[in-house]
Amino acid sequence: MKKIIVDRISNLNLSTYESELSFEFASVDTSLYLHNLKSESNLNFELLENAVLYLSFFVDSTLENVKINANLGKNSKIVVYFADFSVQKNKLEATINLNDEGATCEWHLASLSSNKDNKDIVVNIYHNHPSTFCRIDNYGVCKDEGKLQFSGISYILKGCHQSKSHQNAKIVVFDNNCVAKAKPILKIDENDIEASHAASVGKVSDEHIFYLTSRGLNLEEAKMLITLGYLKPILKGFNESIQNEIDSLIERRLSNV
Amino acid sequence: MATLKINDLHVQVEGKEILKGVSFSMSEGETVALLGPNGHGKSTLFNAIMGHPRYKITKGSIYLDDVDLTHMTTDERARAGLFLGLQNPAEVPGVINSDFLRAAVNATSEERVSTYKFYKLLDSATKELKMPFDLATRSLNEGFSGGEKKRNEILQLMLLNPKIAMLDEIDSGLDVDAIQTVADVINKLEGEGKGFLVISHYARLFDLIKPTRAIVMVNGKIVLDGDPSLIKRIDQTGYEFIKAELGINIEKEENKMNEVSIGSCAVRESIKK
Repeated sequence: MKKIIVDRISNLNLSTYESELSFEFASVDTSLYLHNLKSESNLNFELLENAVLYLSFFVDSTLENVKINANLGKNSKIVVYFADFSVQKNKLEATINLNDEGATCEWHLASLSSNKDNKDIVVNIYHNHPSTFCRIDNYGVCKDEGKLQFSGISYILKGCHQSKSHQNAKIVVFDNNCVAKAKPILKIDENDIEASHAASVGKVSDEHIFYLTSRGLNLEEAKMLITLGYLKPILKGFNESIQNEIDSLIERRLSNV
Repeated sequence: MATLKINDLHVQVEGKEILKGVSFSMSEGETVALLGPNGHGKSTLFNAIMGHPRYKITKGSIYLDDVDLTHMTTDERARAGLFLGLQNPAEVPGVINSDFLRAAVNATSEERVSTYKFYKLLDSATKELKMPFDLATRSLNEGFSGGEKKRNEILQLMLLNPKIAMLDEIDSGLDVDAIQTVADVINKLEGEGKGFLVISHYARLFDLIKPTRAIVMVNGKIVLDGDPSLIKRIDQTGYEFIKAELGINIEKEENKMNEVSIGSCAVRESIKK
């Protein structure tokens, strides 16, 4: 197994990697960008004290049984931007362990499921220490005969007081043959914490459509703008050239909506 | 000069008739106060004029000059020159305010507005409204305070340049200074010849925008159409004089829960027999 130790400020851009890969981050700010992930691969991230990692994934091929694991030390922070435009049958499972005080995870994911894609995205968070923080935002667009499932459990173990855990899962559905599920679950064994979960699955809201059309946009424009609102916020996790690439991909994939 | 003509408008919401024959007309350059007790159809009228799909027009017509809007879609009405400033504007996550505004400006203007020209317009309008420019770059209304949402409605009004604007409780959620700012914008646009139809429960806004007319809606109908002195009278004495002078009984919203339970008991009784 290859292990990469990162101990100075750097921007990593790995084009090829082995299917089992481990990183260790010392107390530096690091940005890591990965384009597509190998089938059956395991990615491990160890964040030592005060390490900050910005992790951006852009997937436009397949995404088969990929596992992402992160272990966060004291006052470390991981910010994940996952742009999932993978095709076919896909499964992604992320497990984030918040192991020491001040460990913080921000997880942003946007996923498009179209044609006959079948996607299962699981994000599990373990609050293993008091004063650990996590926010998960999963946004999805489901069309044609696409299947899309967001699930994940935030565990706050006993004694992990002052921890905060928020989960948000939203899927907009376009066609009658779509199957979309959002299951944000909280398992909490401590009183002195802050936690919330929100889920919504459904067609574009009539009130939103009315609001936008009352300003002169036609129905198609209004629907498109609202739909892009699910996918485009993920762009801010990427540099400009990749933003443009993802942007044009979104436009292509949604052109028949 | 464009004139909005509402003729014998009947509107149902979920099978219940709310508007029962509304008729009035107003023109550009007029500022009309729409008054009336809560639950008597003021907001319903605005939504029906704008073509909200939940509000079904069962009879009557809406014209803007010679154009029949009655069966048009909402966006067609907007492009014809109507605007509705909502009481509770929706929060639309992920849709960037300025992207939306730009799409709206392009949809309602005859030629495409260049990026440069649009940002100049946006910049001057936000300054006039004393709005932080970053509100334009955030998600549409998401996390905005009540006052910020209302300013954002006025921002849209300024950019879209409609002929007739309907404003539904635009002053709620605004502090005193913000009401003044919004009133200044309305007065300026009125001076440019736009028409305003305004719902508010507070005399303060009307003091500032000085309506040219006041109309009063009771029981889903316009029962009074007169000069703006009506605003002061209603502000001071309420709506009771309508009953005394016009002989119109002001309907109160009934509580339906009891009727349902009585109904089901009666059904059970009748089955026993």
